[in-house]
Amino acid sequence: MKIRAFAVLCAVALVLDTALAPEIEILGARPDFLVLALVYGGLGLGVSVPVIAGFLMGLMTDSELPEYLGLNALALSVTAFAAASLLDRLVKSHILVQCSVIFGAILLRDTIFYTVYYRGSIGIFGHLLLRYSLIGAGYTVAIGLIIHFIARLANWRAITGAPRR
Amino acid sequence: MLSLLIRLFRGNRDFATLVICVVLSAIALSLPPAAKTVVSSIMSVPILRPVKRIAVAADGLTRIRSENARLRSLVMKLVEERANLVSLGHENDRLRELTSFIVGFAEEERFDLLPATVIGMPGGRIIEGIEIDAGAASGIEPGMPVIVPDGLVGKISRTLETRSLVEPLTSASSAVAVTIERSRVRGIIRPRYGGSAELLDWQMDYVPARSDICAGDRVITSGLGGVYPAGLIVGDVTAVDEGPLTMTIHVSIAVSLSTIEQVFVLRGLVAPSPERDAMMQMLLRELLAEDAPSDLSDRGTP
Repeated sequence: MKIRAFAVLCAVALVLDTALAPEIEILGARPDFLVLALVYGGLGLGVSVPVIAGFLMGLMTDSELPEYLGLNALALSVTAFAAASLLDRLVKSHILVQCSVIFGAILLRDTIFYTVYYRGSIGIFGHLLLRYSLIGAGYTVAIGLIIHFIARLANWRAITGAPRR
Repeated sequence: MLSLLIRLFRGNRDFATLVICVVLSAIALSLPPAAKTVVSSIMSVPILRPVKRIAVAADGLTRIRSENARLRSLVMKLVEERANLVSLGHENDRLRELTSFIVGFAEEERFDLLPATVIGMPGGRIIEGIEIDAGAASGIEPGMPVIVPDGLVGKISRTLETRSLVEPLTSASSAVAVTIERSRVRGIIRPRYGGSAELLDWQMDYVPARSDICAGDRVITSGLGGVYPAGLIVGDVTAVDEGPLTMTIHVSIAVSLSTIEQVFVLRGLVAPSPERDAMMQMLLRELLAEDAPSDLSDRGTP
């Protein structure tokens, strides 16, 4: 994946996260398009680019809630780093690997976010993690699966993570 | 320490990027609230505003779609309600006409009127009978006159428990003792049929030659014979044929029998009752809200 294509992907993810995600929530849980974009960035662009993208997207998301400016930037950059580093060490074209990374990345992002936001209040943190994060992670994985199969049919190697021949 | 960090970062560019991002995030988090607001507004104007616009547009589109569906169902409901209201309006007009007809009787002529609905009209081209939804259980007996606000319909020929058959003026056996309202000339009116048994008009017989009758005269019941009370409107004279000994008077009846829906059976005269009149007044005031009560008192009610 080229950086320009990734930038477009991030912009689309930002739009979807702002406009579409609230409309398609299930049991209060929304799919996380930002993490999805970062994971796809990690498939073809190494670690640094997704980390910077995560930081910038997080900062933009934070501008909605100025009181916690930098919180989403922190959570997304760390998540991008973890996801991209993992994908570098695993067989990234495997669907199960991708699904696991997406699932874990969302839980990591939410963990960082809730930890700082609720200042370590274990009760609320656990409740939110169980109530929203797990469902949200599953939901995002389902969307990731759909995207993966579409990418396979269209032969988009940047998304499927298949090596070039 | 610094040289150690630089060496570490040189060897691991990805980690260095992460550390820089984390440090920047921590700086952003630790900014004073005023500075955070300024940074947020700077970021949201060029970048997030277009995204928000798209979000708002998408949200608006969804809302418009659901509102459209809601308005469509509302329109359907209103159309249905309007149809009902139109129907109720017609019924209301008809009932107003009937109630004003009841009040229109002078006190000394007040009949015991029983309202009934037409439920059938046996017969082909000629209406031989009219079936109504009131019978012997309501006190109806054969021979009782049946009227509508426009005039005379006929008389009861047969009664069942809850239904009755009316012999209308179109019936071949119908004969009504009538009088010309203006000149008080009397006669008997009967339906006249053509060669193929079609109803031509009504004919007033037994009228002496050179009687004072002309086209347009109103024909009313004379009260002779004891079946119909005097003064019920029957119709109007349409033509007069002079003969050597008698005159033949052609009459058009006032009631359109094929379109009547509600009728009144005259069960006899009613003794004046102040309680009944008061109740009638109250009911009519409710029904005819816009008609002043003085209108009613002008019509002879106490």
